[in-house]
Amino acid sequence: MSAVTTAFGAWGALLARDLRAFLRSRSQLSSSLAFPLMLLAVIGVGVSEGLEPERVRDGDYVTFLAPGVIVMTALFSSTFSSASFYQDRDSGMLRVFLVSPHPPAVILAGKSLGAIVIGSAQALAILAVAAAVPAIDLQWQYGVAPSLLLALAAVLLLNVLLSGLAQVLASRIRTMQGFHLVMNLVLFPLLFFSGAFFPLDDLPGWLYGLALVDPLTYAVDLLQLSLYAEDGSGHLGAGVDLAVLGGLAIALYGWGLRRRPTTE
Amino acid sequence: MNDASSPTPAIEVRGLAVAYGERRALDGVSLAVAPGAVVGLLGPNGCGKSTLLSAVAGLRTPIEGEVRLLGAPPSPQARARLGVVFQESCLDPLMTLHETLWLHGRLFGLGGAELRRRVDEALARFGLSARAGDRAGTLSGGLRRRLELARALLPSPSVLLLDEPTSGLDLDSRRAFWELLREANTSLTPGPPPSQRERGDRPVGVREQLAVLLATNDVLEAERECDAVAFLHHGRLVAQGTPAELKGGLRHDSVRVACADGRAEALSGAVAGWPDVGAVTRAGAVLHVTVDDASSFVPRLFQEGAGGIHTLQIEPSTLEDAYFQLAGASLREATEEVAP
Repeated sequence: MSAVTTAFGAWGALLARDLRAFLRSRSQLSSSLAFPLMLLAVIGVGVSEGLEPERVRDGDYVTFLAPGVIVMTALFSSTFSSASFYQDRDSGMLRVFLVSPHPPAVILAGKSLGAIVIGSAQALAILAVAAAVPAIDLQWQYGVAPSLLLALAAVLLLNVLLSGLAQVLASRIRTMQGFHLVMNLVLFPLLFFSGAFFPLDDLPGWLYGLALVDPLTYAVDLLQLSLYAEDGSGHLGAGVDLAVLGGLAIALYGWGLRRRPTTE
Repeated sequence: MNDASSPTPAIEVRGLAVAYGERRALDGVSLAVAPGAVVGLLGPNGCGKSTLLSAVAGLRTPIEGEVRLLGAPPSPQARARLGVVFQESCLDPLMTLHETLWLHGRLFGLGGAELRRRVDEALARFGLSARAGDRAGTLSGGLRRRLELARALLPSPSVLLLDEPTSGLDLDSRRAFWELLREANTSLTPGPPPSQRERGDRPVGVREQLAVLLATNDVLEAERECDAVAFLHHGRLVAQGTPAELKGGLRHDSVRVACADGRAEALSGAVAGWPDVGAVTRAGAVLHVTVDDASSFVPRLFQEGAGGIHTLQIEPSTLEDAYFQLAGASLREATEEVAP
């Protein structure tokens, strides 16, 4: 059996394990879906009705918020799943994996698959809900299938990027508490500056500048283009979004795989 | 532990040094384990046993020296023939026993009917079939160790690393662990009992080709289960040989004396000068003395101790005494060395 075949076998086994653990954890499963839906319903409707925003299309803040909530779901779900690295390290399972006949990078890739798949699946579940709710007026400006493909690309690339970032941080931060602290410190500002909660056009220059160096901005923009926007005006463009997201995902994920995992 | 006529060692370590920052946890360690041999690493906590196993398993990168597994540098191919039972329990508490073994088999390239057969056989052989669907977190300490041994042996390794595998287990569980290890190696070649073993003899029941490197601080386990033993002290290998060889120069008897408060120090000073007395160590109020003949030593001790002796225990000398003699230190921590 070739190294590639056994590596695929290992990836499949590690992915199946993480998916099984996720599906068995009813609290993680339900809360990870409930929170973004609650945000959409409460904040979305509250802002739409209470503040009557003029700068979003038809004052419909719920629909505007949907792409941002999809990104937020991927963000938190992927981060939470990446923390299983620490659980495996603390339980000793990581050492068991690392003495198997695979290079550490193969094990790390297998471990990250769970986070990528779970993060993507949850984000797409929110998209499915958004598409099914009549009050959320998605535009699908490229047509439903191409728009869906673009949304899928945005979600997948974002999760690969986040998985790489989590792996880089996990190889430097010793404790799970420290990991969550740093991830929150990094991820919340990234989310705030990304345009998930407010339109980027006509922002003050300093805030727009921060948004441009935020990788999440490109995921939000791509999702807004494929789901929310009627045309490309006021957006960065799908090509730019894909190029930046793809480049960062490859760079961060590759960097993360090169890190030697600590087992203690 | 491997002479010139032996086949290629299953494990070979040459001049190995491993450091944690500035501190060398291992320094210049060389040893070899022949196929089929069980070699024990004996030493107190912190002497480098686990570090040596980690380096052999490829989890630690040496700063000097080399490790060879089955005649080649450590590689994914070599690790495919390696089984490890770590010192701490390394199980996912949320995975079932069946899932634990299945995942390990997949990581080692097994699959399909072959993997199903091996998992079922392992569960049956280790008496775990009835608990196959239970989560590992619900197992007792002894059953966890069984599961970990079953997992390590699932891919039929040629090299098995055991890091204090019976630490924390009761006597019955310890016995069961070793019996299961022997039974798991089905191509049995009966050998002589440990007390009559010579260098190179296989221990009873261990499969011919399975080489075992065992880290332990249990001297009785080392004497009973190992063909050869290496003494580690402060990261250095101070002696190696069969248990019989290592105990070769020892006095015959080992005497432990629990003294009244304040009497141990004076008593240790007195007995250290007696002609038939070997090593004398003191740990608080307990003296440990090796002597040629306990039957003549003990009456004299009671004369000298005069009411200051609470209890006294006489045993044949063990590897613990040999370790003290050869390493110049005790296997037990917090022991004061009185006289060599």
